[in-house]
Amino acid sequence: MSQAVLRQPEPRPGWLAGQSSGVRLARHSLTLVALAVILVPFADLAILTRDPWGELARMARGLAWPAWGALESPLEALGLTVAVALWGTLGGMLLGFPLALLFARSRLVRAGCAFVRAIHELFWALLFLQVFGLSAATALMALAIPYAGIFAKVYAEILEQLPGAPRDALPLGVGRLSRFVYAELPLAWARLAAYTRYRFECGLRASVLLGFVGLPTLGFQLETAFREGRYHEAGALLWLFYLLIASLPWWGHRRLIPLLLLGGALLLGPWPTVDGSLLWRFASQDIWPSALLDGDWRGLIDWLARIPELGPAIGNTLLLGLLGSVGALLVALALWPLACRHFGNPATRLAGRGLLIFLRSTPELMLAFFFLLLLGPSLLPAWLALALHNGALIAFLVARHADAITPGMPGVNASGRLAYELLPRLYPGMLALLYYRAEVILRETAILGMLGVATLGYYIDANFEYLLFDVAFFLLLITAALNIAVDALSRRLRPRETAIIDDPCQR
Amino acid sequence: MGGEPRRPLVAFEAEDLGYDNQVVLSRLALALYPGERVALLGPSGAGKSTLLEALRRRLGDSAAWCPQQHGLVPQLAVYHNIYMGRLAEHSALANLWNLVRPLAGPWRQVAELCDALGLAGLMRRPVGQLSGGQRQRVAIARALYQQQELFLGDEPVASIDPHQALRLLALIEARHATAVIALHYRELALSHFDRVWGLRDGQLVIDAPARDLTLADLDGLYPDADSSADEAIDRGQP
Repeated sequence: MSQAVLRQPEPRPGWLAGQSSGVRLARHSLTLVALAVILVPFADLAILTRDPWGELARMARGLAWPAWGALESPLEALGLTVAVALWGTLGGMLLGFPLALLFARSRLVRAGCAFVRAIHELFWALLFLQVFGLSAATALMALAIPYAGIFAKVYAEILEQLPGAPRDALPLGVGRLSRFVYAELPLAWARLAAYTRYRFECGLRASVLLGFVGLPTLGFQLETAFREGRYHEAGALLWLFYLLIASLPWWGHRRLIPLLLLGGALLLGPWPTVDGSLLWRFASQDIWPSALLDGDWRGLIDWLARIPELGPAIGNTLLLGLLGSVGALLVALALWPLACRHFGNPATRLAGRGLLIFLRSTPELMLAFFFLLLLGPSLLPAWLALALHNGALIAFLVARHADAITPGMPGVNASGRLAYELLPRLYPGMLALLYYRAEVILRETAILGMLGVATLGYYIDANFEYLLFDVAFFLLLITAALNIAVDALSRRLRPRETAIIDDPCQR
Repeated sequence: MGGEPRRPLVAFEAEDLGYDNQVVLSRLALALYPGERVALLGPSGAGKSTLLEALRRRLGDSAAWCPQQHGLVPQLAVYHNIYMGRLAEHSALANLWNLVRPLAGPWRQVAELCDALGLAGLMRRPVGQLSGGQRQRVAIARALYQQQELFLGDEPVASIDPHQALRLLALIEARHATAVIALHYRELALSHFDRVWGLRDGQLVIDAPARDLTLADLDGLYPDADSSADEAIDRGQP
């Protein structure tokens, strides 16, 4: 034992040195933050409105004193919003389920699903708008097509993770269908249903947003009211939206769904008269550069050269994606203790949960729109919206996860509990979740362009408006490729040692 | 056994068994004759499941199969789990309809089995709500429902008390001429089986009629570090 006294103590480790997973993840995160800080000067973060605080006060007054009487047929818009979400999700489910069964076997199916997933619902809406006009067909397809890709992927993942024992125990010679309904579907049912329900919630938000491209859902009235500065009316519509989301467990009950579907079918409309030849012309000619169809390569290069500001648009999109992700991480880190049972008192927790649910259920586009009116058209409102919405979403899940943890050492003060008991257990999952969200954030980044932020989405929207379908479609393809690339990258960077908060309902 | 030459149901002649590239049982030589009841013994990891899997593959659908993991679907009712034993005999449409409303014939047959196994009144209960012992009986019921001549069981009575286990083994015995059953209880192997196969470290070290064996012979299968370690300490051995 005397040798131990004589031995030199181990040298004290330097800053964040070592190979433990906590320190490694801290270095990883700090690198990410440093990258964002270095790139911030390249982002246009100017505040362009003269009196943001006055504007904010007017909006707050609108939310506090909503003008219920001024709403024009709000129930109709509400009904249509629900009907589109319901039928769009159902369509996605019906298309996605068979694809899920082929997903593991076919590279083509996987690639196709990745492609339709990579384009946001609103862009699909813009595309179909050109063919089907402002009709229910546009709205339904805008939801059903990307959701088919998402359902295919997530359903396939759920089915893949099923325990194999029941399948192996079956007698030989059982047909594929019998095997599926007896030994696979019952095991997967709860998770499939939970995910479908979550996707329906996403569908509700997306359905509201379809109003921003002119479809007569709740978002249409909301956008008009906001844009024209009728904040009391906008406040009433916002409250209506929150009530809709908050009361979902009651009106969205399993037994009521068939009734809702039936009622929704009656509300859906107007239906377009589809002109087959026009549709064909659009798909075979309008969206392709004429030089390409003629096989004129020199012309194609000229055409490419004429597309304005492609580089800066891609740069802005990626930059906003990075800033949004890092912002979401910081927001999540700051907010999750507010809603966690290990901190504060019942009143602060209630307020914290309320704040997180509020930020989480407000669609990014709506948040961004709100900040845009407040701060003017730069990257700043988009950044704030992405960081707050996604940060709150992650914080909510982390808090729920933290509630399930029992600290090993009782009676430690709050900071000790945070730094020694909870964060080391939660952080890896939190970072993994952020990487899953990165793809979603990038997709949202592109659509924020529709509000005037100079990302790819801005140019897509503009080119559709100028009827330059070939350019718009080309930019859409670039957006999709960018999303697929970032998804692949984030899957590589995501911390692998843990999947503790991994649940498809969070993606 | 008898003097006249019999044809074995299955015979392995110095074969290597295992998964992918990994050999679990090397140069295995044994034969299973009709009418034989074989107890399969050995410490965990000795290759019992591998041998049973190989037998199952070799015998095809002429063997009733009761796997170690049970392979039950917790969300489905006891009736449906037992029905799955004969899933291959019905058309996909009949199987689908059976989920909506149980078919009359199978319902009656399964009810009889449930009575015999002490599962009466539980037929409509999801398997996820049953106790461990009840689940094990459902797994056995599923194998019995297959109505085969031959029964292959991977520790079908592992988590059941010896008294119950005896009753269940008798039930299996009454309904199958031939059986290979992996076991924990060495005493049962000697008292209720014709033959014992003993595996240790991937080798078949015992292949003898049960009446020629003693408990001490069987103890030799289990290394001191395994389940018999406690007994070794009791006996004061190092």
